[in-house]
Amino acid sequence: MAMHFIFSDEAVLLFDFWSVHSPTGMALSVLVILLLAVLYESIKVGKARLLYQALMNLSIPTSQQLIEAADQDSSSSDSLPVSRSPLRWFLCHFGQSLLHVAQVVVGYFVMLAVMSYNTWIFFGVVLGSAGCSQGIASSWKLSAEASACSLEF
Amino acid sequence: MSAVDEDEDLEKHSIQLFLLHFLNSVLSESSADSTFPGKMGHSHIMGMNMDMSGGDNSTMPPHHHPTTSSDHSHDHMMMMMPMTFYFGFKNVELLFSGLVINTAGEMAGAFVAVFLLAMFYEGLKIAREGLLRKSQVSIRYNSMPVPGPNGTILMETHKTVGQQMLSFPHLLQTVLHIIQVVISYFLMLIFMTYNGYLCIAVAAGAGTGYFLFSWKKAVVVDITEHCH
Repeated sequence: MAMHFIFSDEAVLLFDFWSVHSPTGMALSVLVILLLAVLYESIKVGKARLLYQALMNLSIPTSQQLIEAADQDSSSSDSLPVSRSPLRWFLCHFGQSLLHVAQVVVGYFVMLAVMSYNTWIFFGVVLGSAGCSQGIASSWKLSAEASACSLEF
Repeated sequence: MSAVDEDEDLEKHSIQLFLLHFLNSVLSESSADSTFPGKMGHSHIMGMNMDMSGGDNSTMPPHHHPTTSSDHSHDHMMMMMPMTFYFGFKNVELLFSGLVINTAGEMAGAFVAVFLLAMFYEGLKIAREGLLRKSQVSIRYNSMPVPGPNGTILMETHKTVGQQMLSFPHLLQTVLHIIQVVISYFLMLIFMTYNGYLCIAVAAGAGTGYFLFSWKKAVVVDITEHCH
């Protein structure tokens, strides 16, 4: 077990069966880890988005919501129409808790992957989370903040 | 995996087993336990450097050595650290050297404790957020009348009020932040044991805590969240 960063194409990542011995395997693992980091970022953003959606439903169901609902994915759009009923809201909250669990687990997985002290893996994580947070977060949060602020003031 | 590789692995495996038996017989007085399902790190006894990162030791037959935690040689022996996930409750060291899990009951207790700790962490996080927002709201209300005549922006007064470093809310926030950081590191270290049960406890605790404590957050608080 290395305690410093090394460039190597041999690593054992997370599970017994995930042991890498070749450059191609390492490239594949870096790709998987990169996707894992992307998944983490998108769960983070998706959770905030879901919360925001639920909130907007609770406060004022305006026509703008319905327009926004049109381009949402299925998970959040099915909680939209009958939002007032507590059962719906409970389900939404439950789903959000599940998302939170997924976020925690994926986050720890990424941390453990970094802790293999393999530089390639580390690059994968950095690229994945940086690129993804740049992409998704900026595109979504700007619109969300704009509409939220217009709602508040 | 080719046959040659398998042969090599087998060879390595048997060498490891031999080394383990050798160590056990030589160091029988030190009750060094080799029952751990994971990989062995470095043992510093006799300056010997054993590296067993190659093979798969999960099929190793368990040796039943009674582990006495009060043993003196315990300090010299680095605990063997697994590098992949596994399920087991034998000889799991939990954060402190005194906390070694050896039975199923102890593992159940540790599971509950870790679960509660993770739940507490979530609750603390959300409580801190709520406290912060409460103090910020009061600050904002205090500063409301000030910018009126000037026509200047709200931000300026916000700053002047917020700069009291030694106010009670800020001290409380600081203390709570310390607790939160410590607990989060504990949870991280627990996850780093690679023990499946404990990892599940961390995740389930986080989920339950989030489920229980974030009712209010979703209803009341989050309207103002995006505008800070």
